[in-house]
Amino acid sequence: MQNKNEKILETEQTDNAPGWLDVARVYLKIGTIGFGGGFAVMDLIHSELVEKHPWLTEQRYQNMVALAEMAPGALTVNLLSGIAYRLGGVKTMILATTALIMPSFVLITLLAGAFLAWQNHPMVKGALDGLTAGVVGLLLAVVWSMVKKAPRHWCCFVVGLLAFVLGIVMPINPIWLVLMGGMAGALKVVVETLRNRHINTPSENNGTK
Amino acid sequence: MDISLLYNLAHSFFKVGMFGFGGGFAMVPLMQNVVHQNAWLTPVQFAAAIALGQVTPGPVAISATFIGYKVAGFSGAVVATIAVFIPSLVAMYLLDKFYLKIRTSHITQAIMHGVLPVVIAIILHVAISMGQPLMHSWWQILTVIAVASLAISRRISYGALIAGSVVLGMLMVL
Repeated sequence: MQNKNEKILETEQTDNAPGWLDVARVYLKIGTIGFGGGFAVMDLIHSELVEKHPWLTEQRYQNMVALAEMAPGALTVNLLSGIAYRLGGVKTMILATTALIMPSFVLITLLAGAFLAWQNHPMVKGALDGLTAGVVGLLLAVVWSMVKKAPRHWCCFVVGLLAFVLGIVMPINPIWLVLMGGMAGALKVVVETLRNRHINTPSENNGTK
Repeated sequence: MDISLLYNLAHSFFKVGMFGFGGGFAMVPLMQNVVHQNAWLTPVQFAAAIALGQVTPGPVAISATFIGYKVAGFSGAVVATIAVFIPSLVAMYLLDKFYLKIRTSHITQAIMHGVLPVVIAIILHVAISMGQPLMHSWWQILTVIAVASLAISRRISYGALIAGSVVLGMLMVL
């Protein structure tokens, strides 16, 4: 029954495939009012793309979130560009993502110009002192929330601690640390599968399964 | 217009976009490294770049726009922005194509499990290097603590917290 429903929805989806302009318009809206980042924006995206427009099913949305988490970069941009690709191919992907980023881009270039012109004013210096403290606080909060979400495994602790100490004691490009972390993760799986094979081969003869 | 400067911007921010695994904030350490190596921004200007990424509607990666603008004007802003977002689009395109294969392999998941602790560590590095100069000012220390705890409690958005600390900083000048 459920399968049937999903099939119906999928065919409907291909029939109502929105044009790139429709997608870009919604993305422009998200890019304009999506302040605050993170969860608030994810809710906005969900309501715009799943509830207000019949563009994708809940299942597809969840699948796309899973994909977006694997890609490098901002979760929201990954998610939205992936959805745009699904809705209308590469052209829609590029144009809609451009529409998404455009409001922030315009705002930043305007603010950057003002900032660079005024940065030596004492008031602006004070503002920057406050701002720097605010950014440090935010980074600490981000670290905290990531630690809470991290898998509780001794390997994670070791890798994290190692990366932390390495970065402190020597000037190393963080990209190398990220790559080393990825390799450590891959190595762990390889070692585990090899060990499992080693343990399982004799026990299979005993018929313990 | 300096072509080699624009090329350097494109190249640097493409790498930032390509290796920024683990969410938008994972890009902050990579950007700091790029900015530091090329001596493009002072530490305070870099903090401003990150903060601007928070008070605008877009993702953190939009800080690249500010850095590009500071380095090479409007064309720098365009080049840095395109470069930092291209890897996201390419990655999503490829993931969509090879979706089932990637999802079922637990190698991918294990790699992410190795990357995440590293991302935590390098964000902590940025917080430390940015926070060290603040340690002799009591109100800045208090701001760090207040912003961190409010952000963790999730009652106030990041943008509002940044705006609040800016206002506080201005009041301290008076």
